[in-house]
Amino acid sequence: MARTSTNMRGFYRQKKKNHTTTATGCITKSKSTKTPSFVSDITQTPALHTRDDFCDEERALREFDMNMAYGPCLGITRLARWERAQRLGLDPPKEIHCLLKGGDVKLECFLDGRV
Amino acid sequence: MEVDSPEQLQRKQSTYLSFDENFEIQKEVYRGQQYSQIYFARLHCMRALLYSLVPNWKSHLPVCTVLGLEEGKECIIVGTLYKHMKLKPCILDEYSKERSVAPLVKPHNFIHQDDYLVLEDESGRVKLGGTVLSPSVYVTGVVIALHGKETSAGAFFVEDVLEAGLPPQIERQLKSREDKYVVFVSGLSIGSSSSNPLLFQLLVDHITGHLGDEEEQGLAAEIVHLVIAGNSVEISRGLLNGQNLASKDQSRLSEPFKELDIQLTQIAASLPLDIMPGSSDPANFSLPQQPLNRCLFPGSATYNTFRSCTNPHCFELDNIRFLGTSGQNIDDLTKYSEAKDKLDFLESTLRWRHLAPTTPNTLGCYPFTDRDPFLIDSCPDVYFVGNQEKYETRLVKGSEGQSVRLICIPRFCETGVAVVVNMRNLECHALTFGMQFSS
Repeated sequence: MARTSTNMRGFYRQKKKNHTTTATGCITKSKSTKTPSFVSDITQTPALHTRDDFCDEERALREFDMNMAYGPCLGITRLARWERAQRLGLDPPKEIHCLLKGGDVKLECFLDGRV
Repeated sequence: MEVDSPEQLQRKQSTYLSFDENFEIQKEVYRGQQYSQIYFARLHCMRALLYSLVPNWKSHLPVCTVLGLEEGKECIIVGTLYKHMKLKPCILDEYSKERSVAPLVKPHNFIHQDDYLVLEDESGRVKLGGTVLSPSVYVTGVVIALHGKETSAGAFFVEDVLEAGLPPQIERQLKSREDKYVVFVSGLSIGSSSSNPLLFQLLVDHITGHLGDEEEQGLAAEIVHLVIAGNSVEISRGLLNGQNLASKDQSRLSEPFKELDIQLTQIAASLPLDIMPGSSDPANFSLPQQPLNRCLFPGSATYNTFRSCTNPHCFELDNIRFLGTSGQNIDDLTKYSEAKDKLDFLESTLRWRHLAPTTPNTLGCYPFTDRDPFLIDSCPDVYFVGNQEKYETRLVKGSEGQSVRLICIPRFCETGVAVVVNMRNLECHALTFGMQFSS
């Protein structure tokens, strides 16, 4: 689906959304929700910023998939992985659970079928 | 005809509770998952446990992940061990162009002096150095805590090791108990050329009280339970080579089961019995092995004293906890590590709090996603392993007052030995059946 913008710059994003550059020059991302993460932003970038069109919900779910604290994401549905994290006392964010229960989001990890 | 019947001997009874639910896989659905899930569950549970033990061990040192290691900084890391073994059979060797010269080492043990250990958690892995950790003692899949520091070469120099130790044990009251015995037997191998049907019949007759005088029968009446720990039948290899069987061979296939069922019916009519599957029984290959199908035992399955159980098997009799396997876990440890005797392997699995640490690496196991059922949460009172070479037993004491009776049950078809445990004091002795008549 093409975005309604007059120039190509809007179509192919050149910069990350909501970024600020610090004095040392590294790019930080402002986070609206506190998601615990061991992975640095740099390694998250290629997975999240692909040219496939996806919404913020899918981005939040991909962050959940990539978060190492909840274990491997392949071979298990996102909901099962969330429930396992809940049962093991890892306290996963409840918004992810709401997203998975309602709404038409992908139930499988985003790497499913690609690996 | 008057048969003088003095008071009939009553067999003693005990309350039975099964804890095999953990090992059943009927509810599991395979969705194409890989083994990373079970390793994650294992690491998570064991790491939480080890983190709680670290303050009592070395409270002054920081705990960090493998990725957070800094050169020269002394710290504690927790992770899963991986043992790189030179001689471990690898499927890729079949495809490699150069075939290495066959090593001059015992084929049933793959230890080599060049084996090294690697510690892994979800952030990374680090090679382990130093002399404190001996690779021959450990196997892949054990979760431990290590104190040391990273060297300039990028390896982790180990100074001290913390294993989880024996799990907590529920205290049992022994004082008011009477003598009650549990009999363990394994490796009956009915159907094999080396099994002697008379020996097993002698065992059955003794347990059911058909042998001996009143005193002997009185002793038999104190036996409350029988556990058959795997390898009850052996089907000759010639019948299992994938060819279609002629009709006369088909009856040969079922003969061992008919013979076993006849014996088990005699036993089940007399006392409760548990039968576990083993490596040669018709059950699934990977652990946890599921109970043998009741259709195999048309005669004995009608009794409510007959129980077909999983492997591993966990149950309680009069609040005494029994836990054990048919031998696959210890046999795998024998192949990939070294110890003075089989009891040392048994004790190690207790200290690592894991029944079968080599699953799923070298021992087949179901790919659980949300739990690792082989983790031992509660210390058993009797811990047994079946199908070993000889009868061995030891009483192990833990650091918090736990006390466990370790038992290696020998193969009955080779030794004629069954093991009897007294539930009053956890003492153990062998019951030997032989056919040698000294002239």
